[in-house]
Amino acid sequence: MKTRDEEALLARVAALLESPEHAGHPLHDALLALYRQHCDQHEQIQRLINISDRYQLLAMEARQVTQERYEHSLRRQRKLSRISDGYQALMRERNQALHQASTHDPLTDLPNRRLINERLENLVNQGRAFTLALLDIDHFKRINDRYGHDVGDRLLVAITQTLSATLRDYDLCARWGGEEFLLLLADTHLEEAQPIVERLRASLAAVAIPVADQRLSVTVSAGMSQHRPCEPHQTTLKRADQALLDAKRAGRDRSLTDTL
Amino acid sequence: MLAMTTMITDLDIPGNQSSPAIQSDWQAGRLAMQGDSYPENSYELFDQVIHWVRHFLDTEQRPLHLELALVYLNTSSVKAMMDIFDLLEEAFDAGKAVSVNWQYDVRNERIAELADEFREDCSYPFAITPVKGES
Repeated sequence: MKTRDEEALLARVAALLESPEHAGHPLHDALLALYRQHCDQHEQIQRLINISDRYQLLAMEARQVTQERYEHSLRRQRKLSRISDGYQALMRERNQALHQASTHDPLTDLPNRRLINERLENLVNQGRAFTLALLDIDHFKRINDRYGHDVGDRLLVAITQTLSATLRDYDLCARWGGEEFLLLLADTHLEEAQPIVERLRASLAAVAIPVADQRLSVTVSAGMSQHRPCEPHQTTLKRADQALLDAKRAGRDRSLTDTL
Repeated sequence: MLAMTTMITDLDIPGNQSSPAIQSDWQAGRLAMQGDSYPENSYELFDQVIHWVRHFLDTEQRPLHLELALVYLNTSSVKAMMDIFDLLEEAFDAGKAVSVNWQYDVRNERIAELADEFREDCSYPFAITPVKGES
């Protein structure tokens, strides 16, 4: 870049050098040499500046490309993680659904045998006291036979709702068989369990579902047993089952404890 | 003759529990994938697919259609699908006809949501179609 003053000076010098009246002047050759050297140097500086500018531009472009690539790959990474997280969440939900399906009864949504067996094993391993109550709806088969299975199912669901609402949070009630329920009363002795089960039987006897123009209700028999230290839970269960059988034989609609 | 020399072998990979079934049809301009995808050799598997797609798009001017019925994808499979969709986007930008149809079971709406996430940066036709699941 030449400033105006520079240009004017150079023009003046050029004009002087070209003027014939100065030819042969002792300073003419020296000034001409100086003038040419100046022009060469000026051109060189211009080239240097141009090269430097081009490098700077390239470096800037390279930085911009790198920046764009970085942002692009960052966007892709984020998208990848987002979608991948989505699939992972999907898998987790599927696992939960499968776990729920494998540990619960589909009709009543109560825990099934598998879950309560696990729970019982844990209690035995921890050496905690518990009482089992095996409940059975009296003459359930007659209801199914007379009104059909859908009425039987409705009754089971209604009974289940009352069961779940009446129990303490830390009790567990499982659907043990068709019309059989197993109650696990943790940290509970037989004497404490008896009034609980009696109260429960009274609540269940009060459950009624409408069928045609009448209301259908049932009674429940129960057999109870308390876990004895070191015995496997299957043995406790067997005693509760025997007590239930005794209650049935004694005329149903009652609860009995194991007599051994 | 020219078509014969540039064509590469079509893919016909049977699927299993962890690996999707993959079929390509060079003549029809069609690539199909079905099933779950969390294979052990994910890169090996998808490299073949990516290679096929790239080769088709590089050599053919005809349209390419992807018919997908993928269900679960692990991270490396997600990455591979993103790469494939990027290839399609490039080709589409260059004026080629490409399209995708992703089928999902109506009972699994989440798959549609995830397919939609894939579709986000795609400007070519990308359909997400519910199908009645077999029970």
